[in-house]
Amino acid sequence: MPPAVLRPPPVRAPGGGASSLRPAHAAAPCTVAPAPETLHPALWRAHQLVRPRDAALATGFAQLDAELPGGGWPRRVLTELLLPHPGVGEMRLLAPALATLAQAQRSVMLFDPPAALCGWALGQLGVDLQQLVVVHGREGSRGAALRHLLASADLLWALEQALKSGHVGAVLAWLPERLRADALRRLQLAAQAHDGPVFLLRGIDSRLKPSAAPLRLALHAGAPDELWVRLLKRRGPPLAQPLKLVLPPVLAPAQRARALAARVPVAAPPRVAVAQARDA
Amino acid sequence: MLWIALHLPLLSLESFAATLGAAQQALPIALLDGKQLSAANRAARQLGVRPGLKRSTALALAPQLLFGQADAAREAQARLALAHAALEFTPSVSLHGAQGVLLEVQPSLRAFGGMARLLQRLQDSAAALAHTLRFATAPTAQGAALLAQWAREPQEIVGPHTTDLAALRRLLDGAPVSLLDAAREHCAVLQGMGLHTLAALRALPREGLARRFGEALLTELDRARGDSPDPREAVLLPETFESRLELFARADTAEQLLHGAQILLARLLAWARARQARVARFTLVMQHEPRHRGGDGTPGSTELEVALAEASNDAAHLQSLLRERLGRLPLPAPALELRLRCRDLVHRAAPNHELFPTRASEHEGLTHLLERLQARLGPAQVQRLQRVADHRPERATVWQPLDAATPVREPPAALPSLPKLTRPVWLLDTPQSLQEQRAQPLLEGRPLQLLAGPERIETGWWDGAPAARDYFVAQAQGGALVWVFRTRLPKSAAAEGWFLHGRFA
Repeated sequence: MPPAVLRPPPVRAPGGGASSLRPAHAAAPCTVAPAPETLHPALWRAHQLVRPRDAALATGFAQLDAELPGGGWPRRVLTELLLPHPGVGEMRLLAPALATLAQAQRSVMLFDPPAALCGWALGQLGVDLQQLVVVHGREGSRGAALRHLLASADLLWALEQALKSGHVGAVLAWLPERLRADALRRLQLAAQAHDGPVFLLRGIDSRLKPSAAPLRLALHAGAPDELWVRLLKRRGPPLAQPLKLVLPPVLAPAQRARALAARVPVAAPPRVAVAQARDA
Repeated sequence: MLWIALHLPLLSLESFAATLGAAQQALPIALLDGKQLSAANRAARQLGVRPGLKRSTALALAPQLLFGQADAAREAQARLALAHAALEFTPSVSLHGAQGVLLEVQPSLRAFGGMARLLQRLQDSAAALAHTLRFATAPTAQGAALLAQWAREPQEIVGPHTTDLAALRRLLDGAPVSLLDAAREHCAVLQGMGLHTLAALRALPREGLARRFGEALLTELDRARGDSPDPREAVLLPETFESRLELFARADTAEQLLHGAQILLARLLAWARARQARVARFTLVMQHEPRHRGGDGTPGSTELEVALAEASNDAAHLQSLLRERLGRLPLPAPALELRLRCRDLVHRAAPNHELFPTRASEHEGLTHLLERLQARLGPAQVQRLQRVADHRPERATVWQPLDAATPVREPPAALPSLPKLTRPVWLLDTPQSLQEQRAQPLLEGRPLQLLAGPERIETGWWDGAPAARDYFVAQAQGGALVWVFRTRLPKSAAAEGWFLHGRFA
């Protein structure tokens, strides 16, 4: 074994970690320790957002971009979206990113979508149907009774193959809540070869279970054409406040105003979910 | 003229080993010819088993010895595959004796960048067929064949190499007499006469030799030395490929079948490469055990057809497709014999490989991926959406199984800005009937608040599925938007009232 290179012992700044938060010129010139985040791109402090190596894919919502590490949907890692039921506005949330991919002529694969898709609606959202491939698990194409409980081995295999191939632009997979932790970990490893975002859409109940996905979002429809996004997990400091995103509208402004006026008694839906998450 | 000779010293043993399962190949194996052993593999030889022993003697030495029968037809098929692999490099390939393949390569040297590279490429393409080979090159066909057979050391792969006729003659002078085919039967006599090398044989008067040992001996020697012409019959490529492999043991798992099919696929690819084409479709026929046939209605054979969206010459890709298909295939009975057939080749030039990922290479990779998915999940499970001009939402989108490789489309000129959405992304397969309370539809016990509508869709009276509905966008309990309709002029009580048809996602 070659002899280790001798280095002078690291100089510790007086006062420990607190001093390193001060600007560098405040410390004595001979004891300047470089900030950890400048040493290596994989290092960041708990109050900072991580800067991923691959450029993220802009979500199309400036408010959300600001809170996501890298400023958009991350590539090469899993992103979990947890929703109470299909149809809270998840496709409208993802549509700008998918439209960007469609422009770059990259394909989008959907695995086991929960219902039939309307091509016209996807077209209105800017998704290119020519680039869209839908893959169903083997047991019964749609509407299998057990599908939301257990992921079929075939579907996980197909998902892993798609991620490993690295030729797919974006992957959207509807996975059941009951999913083994090692299956998620496998997918996370496979996703490293995938140059694009991977969205796993699961039921809101799985937010209590640990997950290998570095980014987890809980989605909630607050009002018509509105989406509340709570960042359950990200590489960065926790975010207490949910984000309110205004989705591409279905309703005309007048209709929306009417809807808002009428729905006073059932306001503030996300609060219950937040309390449960904290307890866990 | 410059000839490469390939000699397969272990052809009979290796062609037998190909019929064995993966686990059995490491066992000591010996081939029987009558009651005597004609060949033994390395594991058997380490136990002291030698060709020429009696069966009982060999069993006493190695009780676990696996016996096989030499089969000339099986060997011929294996050697023909090697000849096909050689046809990739030159059009004039011929067979020699029982274990030799000859290639005339003088016109191909320039195209393949010289002898050393050509030999290397030949070795690489023959590697998939898993044969032990010995190479030799010489200016005459017979001379090359003799040199390839002449193993001065048992493990030698590349034998003598000469491009010069004089050098070849000098080499042959030192070769043992027993190399000549015609001298085999007279070996003892020749040895008794003190004739050990070809030089000694040549020194004798020709008339006397011809009288005692026949013309064949002299002819062979003359051809080897380039003194007389040596016409060879070239191997012709068949238009369609068919190769069979009789398995030693019954195969009833996909892995066992795949193991046997591997060598057939290697032969198929050798044939396809020689035809300078890529495989578009092939059929694997599995012949079942005879006693399973007939009586209980099991078919005599099962056919598995594998069609490729994009023709390929990639052994790993074909194998993975076959593995997925075999994994799904229920076999009515164990298979005893495999046959591989191929008629469909694509003669287009192979797509270029790119150094950096591009759109074209991504498209190709995607096609391979989709083929793999279709092979395992079934072709109907991988779909594409297509829009149809129809007002009924359930008919406006069609699911199409993805078949052939779709062309890479040109990017749209400009992305349309997001218009107001008029249709929900999620459509229910069958509209869900909703309860009604005080003229308001209920979803999960809560009233839906109608926000937009009605949008009247009344169409389809001409094709037997008429729809007369008023659609509304409604707000559900949590603020999510749903798409509901009320039927107009219902035909029956079941079709009356409110229905949930979609969710705006």
